[in-house]
This record gives sequence, C-alpha cells and structure tokens, in this order.
Amino acid sequence: MAVTARGFTYQHADRTRPAVAGVDLEIAPGEKVLLAGPSGAGKSTLLHALAGVLHPDQSERPEEEAAAATSTGDLLLDGIPADQARGRAGLMQQDPESQVVLSRIGDDVAFACENLAVPPDEIPARVRQALSSVGLDHLPADHSTAALSGGQKQRLALAGILAMRPGLLLLDEPTANLDPAGTEQVRDAVIAAARSTGATLVVVEHRLSLWVDHVDTLVVLQPGGGVSCRVPAGALHTDQRLRGQLTEAGLWVPGADPLAGLPAWSGAGRAPCASEPQAQSGGKQLLTGSGLAVHRQSPRRSWRRGPAPQPVLSGVNISLSPATAVGITGPNGAGKSTVMLTLAGLLRPHAGTLRAGAALKGERGQHLPDSPADWRSEDLTSRIGTVFQEPEHQFVRSTVADELRLSAERARVPGSRRPLFSASEVDERVKRLLHRLRLEDAAEANPFTLSGGEKRRLSVGTALAAGPQVLMLDEPTFGQDAHTFAELIGLLREHIDDGGTVLAVTHDQDFLRGLEAERFDVARFADRPEGARSGADAAGNGPEGTRGGPDAVGNGPEVSWWGRSGRDTSWLGRRGPLAKLCALALITVALIATIDPVSAGVVAAASFALLPAAGIRLLTFLRRIWIFAVASLLAVWGAAVAAEESGRVLLDLGVTTVSTGSLELGLSLGARAFAIVLPSVLIFSTTDPTDLADSLAQQVRLPARFVLGALAAMRLLGLMAEHWTALGHARRARGLGNQFLTQSFGVLVQAIRMATRLAVTMESRGFGAGPRTWSRPASFTASDALVVAGGAVIAGAATALAVLAGTWNLVWLN
Amino acid sequence: MSTSASLRTRWNVSDIVVASTLAVASGVIFWGWNLSYHAVSTLFVAYPPTASVVAGMWLFPAVLGALIIRKPGAAIYCEMVAAAVSALLGSQWGLGVLLSGFLQGLGAELILLAFLYRRFTLDVAVLAGAAAGLAGGINENWIASYYQYDAVGTVVHIAGFALSGAVIAGALPWLATRGLAATGVLGPLKSRRAHLESALTGRTRTAGTPAA
Repeated sequence: MAVTARGFTYQHADRTRPAVAGVDLEIAPGEKVLLAGPSGAGKSTLLHALAGVLHPDQSERPEEEAAAATSTGDLLLDGIPADQARGRAGLMQQDPESQVVLSRIGDDVAFACENLAVPPDEIPARVRQALSSVGLDHLPADHSTAALSGGQKQRLALAGILAMRPGLLLLDEPTANLDPAGTEQVRDAVIAAARSTGATLVVVEHRLSLWVDHVDTLVVLQPGGGVSCRVPAGALHTDQRLRGQLTEAGLWVPGADPLAGLPAWSGAGRAPCASEPQAQSGGKQLLTGSGLAVHRQSPRRSWRRGPAPQPVLSGVNISLSPATAVGITGPNGAGKSTVMLTLAGLLRPHAGTLRAGAALKGERGQHLPDSPADWRSEDLTSRIGTVFQEPEHQFVRSTVADELRLSAERARVPGSRRPLFSASEVDERVKRLLHRLRLEDAAEANPFTLSGGEKRRLSVGTALAAGPQVLMLDEPTFGQDAHTFAELIGLLREHIDDGGTVLAVTHDQDFLRGLEAERFDVARFADRPEGARSGADAAGNGPEGTRGGPDAVGNGPEVSWWGRSGRDTSWLGRRGPLAKLCALALITVALIATIDPVSAGVVAAASFALLPAAGIRLLTFLRRIWIFAVASLLAVWGAAVAAEESGRVLLDLGVTTVSTGSLELGLSLGARAFAIVLPSVLIFSTTDPTDLADSLAQQVRLPARFVLGALAAMRLLGLMAEHWTALGHARRARGLGNQFLTQSFGVLVQAIRMATRLAVTMESRGFGAGPRTWSRPASFTASDALVVAGGAVIAGAATALAVLAGTWNLVWLN
Repeated sequence: MSTSASLRTRWNVSDIVVASTLAVASGVIFWGWNLSYHAVSTLFVAYPPTASVVAGMWLFPAVLGALIIRKPGAAIYCEMVAAAVSALLGSQWGLGVLLSGFLQGLGAELILLAFLYRRFTLDVAVLAGAAAGLAGGINENWIASYYQYDAVGTVVHIAGFALSGAVIAGALPWLATRGLAATGVLGPLKSRRAHLESALTGRTRTAGTPAA
C-alpha cells in the first residue's frame, strides 16, 4: 500500500500549535520505514492519523471553533483518505495491556475480523494463520490473554492486526515497555510479517538500533515542522551529521554512548557493596534482609483468601551500604519488583527478617522498630524513597511545586508529630529541587500534563524531597529517551555522592554501567522450578512489573476465576449464559416478591443441592458466602430495632424496642437477603463474561457496541485492582498514609488513560462502524431449556411451599 | 444524518470505552471502600436506618459518568455496568443489584434530561446525586423491599440516602470531573474543559488560561 502525505497538518483540540505541520511524504508499497524525531515532534499523531483514528471536530458551537481539533492537507492510503480506509491499516501502540481487547486469545484475534464483517466461516482459518505467523500457535485458542507476558501480548496484537489483512502496519514504540527478550521477539515477528504479507511498515521508535538494520528508510520529523530528512536507513551508520542531529534530539543512536554527555564520574573508592550480609559489618549497613521470602500478597492470613500464598522468591539475603548502587536483575516475572517493594517497607516479608541499621534510622531514630514495614508512613518517606514504574502513581497534588512541597512537609521527627523540616527549609528544598530537576518553568503546571521525561524527573523529585538516604526505583528508564536517561543518571550520581544509596529494578545495561551498580540477580532465589512458573513468567510489564497469573492480582478483589484458562467444564458451566440468567432472574423475582423464611429456605437448599452441578466444592462456596451471612445478620438487627413493633416486647433499649413481631420480620428479611445471594454466586461463578456478552448482543439484541465496550472494560478489572494496590503503596512511600480519596482519583485517571488507548485499539481494528459478524454464534439448546425450567421449578416450589405454609405475602401489598 | 443533534448525542467509541472503564474502576473503588470502611457500618448499629448516609458511595458512578461523557444514557449505563461488576465480584443483593443500578441511574438521568444534557454544573450534579439517592431509597424500601422500617425509619432511611447521594454522588463527582479535566486525560471527551467552567453558570473561562 502506498502512503501519500501532502501538506498534512493536525492540531489537537485546545492546543495553541499543531502536533504535526506541513508533512510531505511518499512511502512506496512494501517500503519499511523507521519514523524518528525528538519528543513532541508528532510521530504518534501522524501514526494515529494514518490509522484513521483521529477525529477532527465538526464544531457545533461557533465559540468553540478556536479550540477545536483541525486537520488540513491530504493523507492518502492508495489514494483513499486515511480516515475512510477502515481496516486497511493496523496500529500497535506501546502499552501491551491496551492492545488486548478480549480475554481469550482466539477471540481477541477474531475481534477485528468480526468488526469488518468477515463471514464467520472464514474467521477461524484467518485466526489460525495469524497466530501461527506470530509464533503463538502453540497456545490453545481459549488461552487466557491475562496470562500472556508483555511481549506475547504485543505479538497477539500483531496477530489481531494481521487477521484484518491490512496493507499498512503502523507501530508506535511497540517494545518500549518490554524486556530485551520480548523486544527482539516482537521485532522479529513484525519484520517477518511485513516480509510475508508485503505490507508497508511504519514504525516509530527512539531506540533506533533495534530497527535500523531491518528497515529500508529512515524518516525524521521535526517539532512544529514537516519531515526534516528521509534517507536510506543505512545512512544512520555513516552520516555523522545525521547522527549528531539525532543524538541532539535525544534519540538512542546505535553505537553512541548515552553517558557520553555526562561529566566523568567514578564510584571507585567507595566501600564495596555487600550483597551477602557480612557478619561483622552490621553497624554500617543501612538495610539488611536475611532469608527473606516475598510475595505480592500480604502474608496476613484471612478467612476469605484461604491459605497464605507460596512466596515467589525465598531465602533472599541482601544488604545495602551507604553511597552505593545495586541493580536488581533477573528474568521477567521473577519477582524483582516484589523484592524491591519488600525492601522498601511497602510489602511484608513472608519469612526472614528485614532490619534497618542505625545509620538508616538516623540520630533521632531510636524509637523506630527494626523493620521498615512497621514504620509510620511519615518515618518511611524520610528514610526510604520509592519511585514507581508509573510516575503518575505518585502524584496527588495539582501543581508540580505543591507535589514537591508535600513530600518535604510530610517527613516527621520519629515518634512525634513534629515536622522534620522547618517552613524555610521546605521552601529551600522545593526551590533547589525544581532547579535540579529543570522543572522551574513547569512549577505551576499540573503534574499529569507533563511530558514523559518531566514526569519521570518529578517522580524522582517527590521521593528525594523528603530527604531519604535510600532511593528505590522500579524500571526507571522504561520508555525514556536518551536525554531523560542521562539526566536521571546525573541525578542519581549526585544522590550517591551525597552518601545516598540507590537500588533499582532494571534490565537496562547502560543504567547499571552509568551508576557502576552491583548486579543482584534474583533468579537463584526462585522458589518454583523454572517449568512450573508459567504464570509468573507470563507476568507482563505493566505498572508494577509483574502481573499475569491469578496470584499476581494480590491484594485486589477476588477475580481469580476471571483470568483462568480454558472453560468451566461443570454441567452448569457448559450451559448457555442466557438460560442461566433467565433461571436466576426467575428465582430472584420469586424471592423479592415475598418476605418469608420458607421461600428463602427452599432457594438456599436448592442452591446447596446444585453445588455438584456447578462443580464448586462446599468449602470454596462457604468461603465465598460467609460474609453475606454476616450482612444478613445486620438485616435481622435492622428490622428488629427499627421496624413496626408488634407482639411482646423482648428488649427495651429506651429510645427503641425489640419485639417478637419485629424480630420475626427481621429473621425473614435476613433469610431472604442470604438466600438471594446464593444462586447468583452459583450462576456468576459458572458463567464466562465473553459468552454472556455474546448472548446479550446476539440473542437479547442489546446494542453490540455497548455490550462489547463493557466486556472489554471488564477485562481491565484485575489490572485496575493492581493500580489500586500500587497507588496505595505510593501513598505510603510518600508519607501520606491511607488516602482513600486520592487513591480513588488515581484509579480514575489510570482508568481513563487506559480506556482512551483501548478505544484507539478497538477503533483501529474496525470496531464501532457498520455491521459486524460473530464468530461465536450464540444458540439456545434443549439443555438450556432445561436450565430455565429448573429455575422455574425452584422459583415455583419456593412460592408454592410458602403459600402452603401460610407465610407467603406479596411485599408490594404490605 | 450528521446534524448537530446527532453529533451531540451519539456515543463514539471513546465515549463507550471510557464510560465502561469508569464503571469498572468504580467497582474497584467500591471494593476499596468496603475494605477501608468496614468499621464505618458498625457505627450505625444503634439505629440501622441511618446507615444510608454513606450509601451515596454506591451511586457515584452514575453522576460521574454523566458529567464526563455528557451524553444521554451515561448515568444509567455507568451505574448499571458498575452494578454488573459488583454482581460479578459477589454482591450482597445478588442479581437484585442490577435493578438497584438501573433505578439509581434512572434517578440521576432524569435530572440531566430535565436540563436537556446542556448543564453539568455543581447544582445539577448535586440534584442528580440526590435524585439517584431518592430512587435508591424508594427501591430499597418499597420495590425490592430490602428493609421494612416503620414510618420514622423509612423517612430517615430515604432522606439519608438522598442527602448522601447529593454529597458523595453529586458534589464529589463534580469535583472529580474538574480534577480529571485538569490532568488532561479527558482530551477526547466533551468534558475536557470541565475545569475551566464556572461552578454554577457552566460558562467556560475565556482564553488566556493555560490548559494546565
């Protein structure tokens, strides 16, 4: 497919200048192009425009005209305007999580075909072919997308794109969030796909070395202008002027040392950093962990969760000395971030001890407990600062200066409420940090509106503002350009020069070299044998580094049944979702219609009797429902105290009384409240959300766009729970303690960010316009009829027995 | 076809996905609320009908969705998807939570409809939150009848519900929408300038104000 841009200009809404302006570009069919340029040059905007997912405003109100999004010039794919060439271009974005739409890999690949109304009998072959061309055909089609690694998710996204048979592949920093192994696999899969399909390829990337030897052409965009150069890719190795220009722009130029611009620095002469605790040097060590066993989930036992999880790493011995740097390395999903969070006092170790030395506790620290996990949030923040992979997790204020100020103000003198820094010291720290972080001009900007590099600098700044001696960072260089990289190294070197210690989870060799960091490989502490770690290995590269297997959800809501692979094979699990929903509705209506213990008892008994059909063990069921039993007791009490009194008075509380009548009513209400939960637990734990959505859209004819939108969002539930947990950690690390409101706000920000990217993914796969087909036709079978009949029988029996017993009363007539 | 009316009311893909995701995120916030504020509910043991003063927590997705999406149906859609999420995670009311979600969303929706989906100011948000609470109170006392209080208890319960809705599901979502607009994440949506709008007239402050 040929691409033609003539004077193409695009301005986003509410911006004062265009994101791309006057782009003139010809790309030949089958040409492979590496698109580069400094941050803010509009590379992503151009890709989005090519993918047809930008929508200039058709302004409805004249007063909004000035702020509207506008597009001028031509952008043509084989002569057709890009925004009308639906399905002809496929787009892959940076964040693997937002590239997946559905929860089973086969369905996810079929999604685009369905949107483009490919005949259903043609879809399975397309899906198989696409999966095999990205090397995922060894997985079953109903493999859970949540159990894929970041690199696998990106390859799955590529398969989804290839299944559309597009003439143009667009990739927007497809490997920025991946580890080195995942990165190469994705690149190789992309190149192979472009070769075999003959599709034109445009890839945006600032790590040029990854792609430059695999593409034909290098195109450089310049901020506010058009194309500044278009050369054969090989010129990058030979043209010194070009290399200089790109290095200047912050790109990672192959063979150029990103540390070259920094003043010479040597950590030599510092005390060697002892990873294994040395028996005698305890006094000098800042932090010593011995025999640590770690897991995302708190070791505290809970009734609901059952037994404590198996730690991902155990027997970890580590110790940190002043003025050193340690890099925690190891394969993806090995538990690197978990170790870091444990050392940072944010997660509790499952075994072993973590002890802060006198040097870290400080002169006024004698009141502090030994383990940082037991410290108050305010004491933690002035000793151990944590920088999260997603900088936005740390932001809680509406300006950059306030964000830094807050950190400085939160630090407390141990054991007291007195601030550690006086008002003038706080001002001084804020001023100095704004200068050091080069954020003086952005001091009044909203932190969330900063560029990626500025956010990274601010996230380090918020940690440093509280004056911690130990700084911990989780993949601080992911997705950063060479400028931000060098600045970060500079900041951390200063921290070390001041006697501080840096511990970072990283894959980045340049980073380790830049800080002369000692490597601490955690792979040797892995608890489970390599082969058995599929869930953990699959952990992706999202906000906190590890995710994927059901246990990665950690402290989130219990959604473990959500990400499971394969289908529920119980009898109820194999029935159609619509039938189950009908049966559940019948039973629920029968219960709501009356307040009596007999009908409630019948439904409860039936629910327990149906456990084998649902394949749920009694103990599992009890664990899920006990909390509802407690809630029903509250219902009993509520009515007993506050319902109309009748009969004998049992308890006189002065203002109110409990009588036989109100207690009886309460017991009936409680039984009903308990009974109403049981069948819904049975039905929802045996119903797959994808199947339910298929049913609702095809059989009930609910609008497909909304049903599929809701389904795609539900897949994000586990991810959102992880954001919640990470936001909680970030608040503790910043000395803020428990902050429900800012934590909720943080989740909303991340939810909308993710939704916006997901919407782009869905739209670029043809979603939302025109008729679609369904590769999984929903049907209604004889055994589905049996399910509905069963529901009717339970509802009928409940009502009939209550009528016979004389307890039935229609609630709306009371 | 593409008249200004259909542009104003038709949901595009971003609207649908953002509304759905907001509802799912609300489900996570519900869960966080349950965890953090388990103790709160025990405060109401002395007189259970007053527990409704924190029930606005269950209503906030309706008004938040409406203020962010600004298109017809957003309140009902967000509240129902949030209800579906709680049903999946295991709701105290089983399938009945969908009925609650629909009625509460409907309460908020009617207020926004009354203003023809043109006003998204603080007063409208508070009214919508109160209406959602009122609808919730009516449902829980007379339709699904989860409670059977005497006259005083019923009045206290419903009034508490509406008050709670006005604050937790009205004023707070309005503040949250402004905060979200200020972060720039609402870029593709109609509410992207919410932080520049006056609280009561809804007029956008004139240019010159940086979008930060």
